[in-house]
Amino acid sequence: MAIITKPATESRLRLPQPNGFLISTVIAALCVALPICVVISFLFVGESDAWSHLADTLLARYAWNSLLLSALVALGVVAIGVPAAWMISFYRFPGRDVFSWLLLLPLAYPAYILAYTYTGVLDYAGPVLTWMRAVGSPQWLMEPILNLKSLPGAALMLSLVLYPYVYLMARAAFLDQSANLMEAGFTLGQSRWSVFRRVVIPMARPAIAAGTLLALMETLADFGTVQFFGVQTFTTGIVRTYYGFGDAVGAAQLSSVLLGFVIVLVVFERLSRHRVRYYSDRLRKLNQASIHLTGSRARLVQVLCILPVCFGFLIPTALLIYWTAFFAELQSLWVLTLNSFMLAGGSSIIIVLVALMVAYANRLYPSQWLTQLTILVGLGYALPGVVVAIGVLIPFSTVDHWISARLEPFGVPPSLYLSGTVFALVFAYLVRFLAVANGNIFSGLSRIRPSLDQSGRLLGLSQTGVLKSIHVPLMRGSVLTAILVCFVDILKELPATIMLRPFNFDTLAVKTYELAGEERLIDAAAPSLLIVLVGLLPVIWLNRSVSKE
Amino acid sequence: MIRDVSLTYDKTAVIENLSMALKPQELGCILGPSGCGKSTLLRAIAGFQALNSGEIWLDNRLLASTSQAMPPETRGVGMVFQDIALFPHLTVAENIEFGLTDWTDVSRRERVAELLQLIGLPGLEARYPHELSGGQQQRVALARAMAPKPNLLLLDEPFSGLDTELRGRLASEIRTILKSDGICSLMVTHDQREAFDFADRIAVIHDGHICQFDTPYNLYHEPSSPFVAHFVGPGEMVDAVIAGPRSVDSPLGILTNDADLEFPTGTPVKLFLRPDDLIHDDASDYHATLVGKHFRGAHHLYEVRLDNGVVLGCFAPSHHNHSIGEAIGVTLDVEHLVVFPTH
Repeated sequence: MAIITKPATESRLRLPQPNGFLISTVIAALCVALPICVVISFLFVGESDAWSHLADTLLARYAWNSLLLSALVALGVVAIGVPAAWMISFYRFPGRDVFSWLLLLPLAYPAYILAYTYTGVLDYAGPVLTWMRAVGSPQWLMEPILNLKSLPGAALMLSLVLYPYVYLMARAAFLDQSANLMEAGFTLGQSRWSVFRRVVIPMARPAIAAGTLLALMETLADFGTVQFFGVQTFTTGIVRTYYGFGDAVGAAQLSSVLLGFVIVLVVFERLSRHRVRYYSDRLRKLNQASIHLTGSRARLVQVLCILPVCFGFLIPTALLIYWTAFFAELQSLWVLTLNSFMLAGGSSIIIVLVALMVAYANRLYPSQWLTQLTILVGLGYALPGVVVAIGVLIPFSTVDHWISARLEPFGVPPSLYLSGTVFALVFAYLVRFLAVANGNIFSGLSRIRPSLDQSGRLLGLSQTGVLKSIHVPLMRGSVLTAILVCFVDILKELPATIMLRPFNFDTLAVKTYELAGEERLIDAAAPSLLIVLVGLLPVIWLNRSVSKE
Repeated sequence: MIRDVSLTYDKTAVIENLSMALKPQELGCILGPSGCGKSTLLRAIAGFQALNSGEIWLDNRLLASTSQAMPPETRGVGMVFQDIALFPHLTVAENIEFGLTDWTDVSRRERVAELLQLIGLPGLEARYPHELSGGQQQRVALARAMAPKPNLLLLDEPFSGLDTELRGRLASEIRTILKSDGICSLMVTHDQREAFDFADRIAVIHDGHICQFDTPYNLYHEPSSPFVAHFVGPGEMVDAVIAGPRSVDSPLGILTNDADLEFPTGTPVKLFLRPDDLIHDDASDYHATLVGKHFRGAHHLYEVRLDNGVVLGCFAPSHHNHSIGEAIGVTLDVEHLVVFPTH
């Protein structure tokens, strides 16, 4: 029997046969591209009246506040995250292992819940200030607490929940450095301080930068905290322009400016990550170079480690538990929980299925254009929820208008067919969180050797069969993780849910937001606590996977 | 100079009461199997490991004892690391001048240029480590360690990450560089060929002790113990009996030594024979059965079985092509006999 091989040039030119996996990847990319394209396209629509008003008065304020907030948060997360990572990586002291994961816990908090909780306990009539007045504390001590609802206050809240990004990246970078590099510095006559300054810190700098940039993306996307604290940033501005002024064009144009900020962050983050890669990968790791601390110096380090955990997790959680246990009305909580869990569960399963198809398409047909398409899909995570919501609302309501206009002659009253339905919401979640699922699924799939696919095919499985009976069982852990992480992200997501949810459809996050808006901060404790508790699950998982490495 | 040093690693004693001293400008080597504690010894000299006993001296300065230890950065000891450990965020030039903080700009630039010339890589100042080959990286690491003119240079398995061909070449290259600079150096390795290529004198370490500290030639031809004999090259033990003050009765006839043997006549001994001691000679009275052959191009390495069952290695010229099972003539060509007691 003759074996015929096709000439290489021919097969290289031939595009892969259209198939389900490829088509779904293209569709996923189009989904993510849709809101981006919609938002950017409005830049060229021309100026609405509201826009010129915005540009004259508010744009500068939004930009200034967003920048100032970002700068403060960058400072905050570095000031908390780097020393924490430093202490955990270079010192050995009692309780170090426990602190290394306690420091991750604030990651479970959405910043807005922290803001609500602290406002609840620190407002004028709250227990702290009442007590301080009773004992006659000086004004200068009470002033900053009274001014929590401000831009610096928002920066503090965001820093307290976002520093773990920097902590994680910096810790990994410190631990990844070869002990020999430090020792090389010593044998070259350099003091410990000089080695830290000239070797350890410069080598960790890309990782610290990458962590900070991730925190800044979350900062720019934040809506709940700044809205509650009355800080006028892009996100609050977009919502106000859309709902307050009813100006979709202005909202889209503001969104595209915000998008510009985000793209700058994404570019820098990619660059930093690229540098992280060739700075790591050495033989003997730092672990054994740890400095033993005992006595008062150990105690000092312990206190410094517990501080961010206290303010970012322990104190607010204790308050939430206390309020929930003694004051909360729990009647509506079941409906809220059911709504939230069904929405988050259903959406994350859909998202992970799409991620599986995208990853498998990349495996079946590795090619330049597919890789680039996948990178485009990955951009969704950087998109602020507000921008996604605007980018989905505008085209969907256009379609709704069009359908309504066609049906009007038949006596059908105008209605919302796409916008204001669960479909719109799930679509927005897909755009925003597909990248999260992709990360987990891609790494899971890459650990399965291609020879397994090949033997599966030779033993009579179809392409789909290989995915179903080889890949999914082998990467069950990655699939479950992807579902879990998406689930929690969706549970926490506030602005997109507020803007896109069907009428009278409340979730835990939305109810928390509404109650806080009515200054019923104590009633908001129960849904808040649920969000935080569920949010702990991926943090625990993250800690396990990090410590395994 | 190392005096009575004991060291522990992970709570097990790896070096016990070890002493050795290097001469000025000497290239020393510590050779031993993996896990014999040789790297731990090097780290103790550099100052990354505390001593359990003994003292370490360098040029009449006490570097470390059980009660006191100079910090690594003040010892004037340079080190080339097993994983090369070039700073990945700095260029070649920045790496080399890393330890030259107290120097003026001009002298620093001159020193970098001089070292790049010495290691044969001029023009690569602005490259980053990841842009260099493994051999180039190792030479830059050497230049970086030499730059501050340390009084002693330590090399910790410096070639272990490189491929075999490059190793031997780099070992002799680095020997030339260090000799021209006149710097006293101590290398650690488990590879006997690397040690031979590099060192003036080699200390073979086994079980925490120095078995022998000698020139490569003497280690090979006059090993002081069966361990050293086997560790530095191939060879086999043969039963023999002392036949006179300078002669031994072996299965291949009476052999004469170039000096007096320290055993009384009639003592049963072990005679150590290397493949180059046994020569294939068709005219010889002694015959052995060919049981294995390895063609090495320039010569054959034959494995031959003697009448008493002992299998020995034997070199034969390339064109003497015999088949397995054939009985071939062999003769011994030994000037210096390596003889050990039987127990």
